[in-house]
Amino acid sequence: MQWIAALLACGLLAVGLACGGDDDGGGAGGETTTGETTTASGEDVNVGLVSDVGRFNDRSFNQSALEGLQRAEEEFGLTGRPVESRQTSDYVPNLSTLAREGFDLSIAVGFLLAEATNTAATRFPDSNFAIIDYSVKAPPFKTNPNVQGLTFATNENSFMIGCLAGLMAERQGGRQVISAVGGIKLPTVDIFIAGYRAGARECNPQVRTLIGYSQDFVAQDKCKEIALNQIAQGSQVIFQVAGGCGLGALDAAQERDKWGIGVDRDQSNLGPHILTSAVKRVDQSVFLTSQAVVNGEFQGGTDAVFDLENEGVGVGKISDQVPQEFIDRMNEVKDQLISGELMAPATL
Amino acid sequence: MSEPAATPEPPPGEIPSPAARFELFQRAGGIAAPVLTAVLAFFVGGIVVLATGHNPITTYREIFNGTGLNWFFEVGSHQIGVPWTDANVWFPWNVNDAESEAAFNLQQTLLVATPLVFTGLAVAFAFRCGLFNIGGQGQYIVGAMVAVWVGSSWAGLASGLHIIAAIGLAALAGALWAGIAGLLKAAVGAHEVITTIMLNWIAYWIGNYVFGQGGPLQNNVNESVPVSSDVVGGAKLPILWGDPLLQGLHLGFLLAIAALVAYWAILNRTTLGYEVRAVGFSPEAARYGGISVARNYFLAMAIAGLFAGIGGAVDILGWQFRLGVIDVQNSSIGFIGIAVALLGRNTAIGVGLSALLFGALLNGTSTRNLDPEVFQPELAGNLTLMIQALVLLFVGADVLILWLFSRVRRLRRGPPTPAPVQEAAT
Repeated sequence: MQWIAALLACGLLAVGLACGGDDDGGGAGGETTTGETTTASGEDVNVGLVSDVGRFNDRSFNQSALEGLQRAEEEFGLTGRPVESRQTSDYVPNLSTLAREGFDLSIAVGFLLAEATNTAATRFPDSNFAIIDYSVKAPPFKTNPNVQGLTFATNENSFMIGCLAGLMAERQGGRQVISAVGGIKLPTVDIFIAGYRAGARECNPQVRTLIGYSQDFVAQDKCKEIALNQIAQGSQVIFQVAGGCGLGALDAAQERDKWGIGVDRDQSNLGPHILTSAVKRVDQSVFLTSQAVVNGEFQGGTDAVFDLENEGVGVGKISDQVPQEFIDRMNEVKDQLISGELMAPATL
Repeated sequence: MSEPAATPEPPPGEIPSPAARFELFQRAGGIAAPVLTAVLAFFVGGIVVLATGHNPITTYREIFNGTGLNWFFEVGSHQIGVPWTDANVWFPWNVNDAESEAAFNLQQTLLVATPLVFTGLAVAFAFRCGLFNIGGQGQYIVGAMVAVWVGSSWAGLASGLHIIAAIGLAALAGALWAGIAGLLKAAVGAHEVITTIMLNWIAYWIGNYVFGQGGPLQNNVNESVPVSSDVVGGAKLPILWGDPLLQGLHLGFLLAIAALVAYWAILNRTTLGYEVRAVGFSPEAARYGGISVARNYFLAMAIAGLFAGIGGAVDILGWQFRLGVIDVQNSSIGFIGIAVALLGRNTAIGVGLSALLFGALLNGTSTRNLDPEVFQPELAGNLTLMIQALVLLFVGADVLILWLFSRVRRLRRGPPTPAPVQEAAT
């Protein structure tokens, strides 16, 4: 019923416009329409979004992805369908139900769904899938031409933030130490910390960056403990890269009157002690990928990189206690990163 | 219920054991109480749905269709193959239709219900011995860990043998895990609620360690992902119904039914079961009758852990095929097992039916099955939790009601028992 209505609406629009994005279920995203510059209508495009077990109200990754889908719905008029996973046993049924219902694209949130995405993509070769924060070059993916990996160059925005943290430590004086609290030592965590450390050195050569891992993304007390240790060693700015666990690290910063830096989404609402946040624009990745589907430009089998240039990563709200010249310096670094004059390392 | 030991009334001057109170709750309930409990929970759930501005009837219909139980409405004349033979027999439902939405949903419901049967039995069996096994979760995880270890190594083993080895060792691991709590209870009287909770956390942290970054059982394909290696093809359970790639219903479902039968048989047709129940009704009376209470505490816990361990194994070998840190952290199958046992009144049929109910609830309220027009997906997950919680609340409440009821009756009947005893009973 719904799709018939959508088709009718599309038919009406088609009087003057190309009704883009149709026939997408036919196979690996159309490489034929790449020349199109105008944004096509997404009336008959269906995009599904499958959360991991963190669910959509996690105030982090999944929620951000949902916001991106909602923005794409408003902007392109496409039909979005968020589907929540509550247990591991939901992954495969969620993805396969969307594929079976003929969705043009099903986006899986996060590495937890990698196996299930691979299974569904193999089983439904005519449907398109995307997976957030995971490379399709990594196992279990082989050469599925219908899966796109949505990856983030978070080393770039972390580099900017590292620069700012270095400058703040310099202004504060005393021991030139800043720190980062990571969750589980994964490449997706280390990429933040690598950029942060390099950026700090770029703007403040004397600064030393302490790095600790909680081996956990949930338990706040563990991250708090690590952050308190780092503060005892002189850290003036604490960068959390540990999801929910990292809230404990920010709490420690507040308690000891130090700066904290949020991660993934803008965490400035946590208090005046938040210097800024290293924002992974998961919403932007979902939005841009949905746009690609609407325009018929979806490219399976590849990784899409979201970086400073396409606003896939960015810097959150900056504390108003930061002097303007520091912000200018940081933006200078940003321009240099975009132009390729500076390179942010991706590994420690 | 016919044994002399079944008397629930404690002798005057003695504190009634938890088992005696529990027996009261079992005896008076019968079939009506659990059904009423569930109906009441759904009714109150409906009021809440109404309060959120949705139509409870369409919402419940949608949930019901999501469970796949509507598959049974399509009655006709069909054939079903008898396992391990080529023979076909008449069957009222079309099992050859494995692809339709209803069939797929039903497969998923039964797939979720399968481990719930095992963890439900783990709680129920200990209950029948007067023990409250909160450790189903830990026993399930230990079973799953051993199953994934056996299933992903020993690749040369013949398929059938590999499956038997994986399930057998997982069962043994679960039994040992729960046996620790049983042993502590038997030897030094350490309360099983405390020790099983502690064992849950030990299992949790072992899981975090072994599958985590650099852990001994972490996969060697993608070191950034804290997940075990995959179970090899030969250790995977055969799929009974549905698409093997898309979590079809696996052999574990039949094992769950077999476990229900075994549970009933052990309790009602063996000396061991008789002793376990005798200890459950009254440890003192059992000891007086020459039954070793300590031995039965240990055995009851070990058998409980055996069930939960198999539950973990069939999940791994049936559809999950790997176990990750997040699975260990996020799983709650063992805890839902407590609700399953409580609602099922610790009987085999009760546990089977309430596992089906909880499995259906988990699957029916999944957002893929709920049309967003009918009920927002954002709220659907909470609806499951709410109905689960209401079921538990009413299970607890009807114990209270039954207790009050029995008290009123006792007061009416004759010589009141001394007040202090009643105080202690609460």
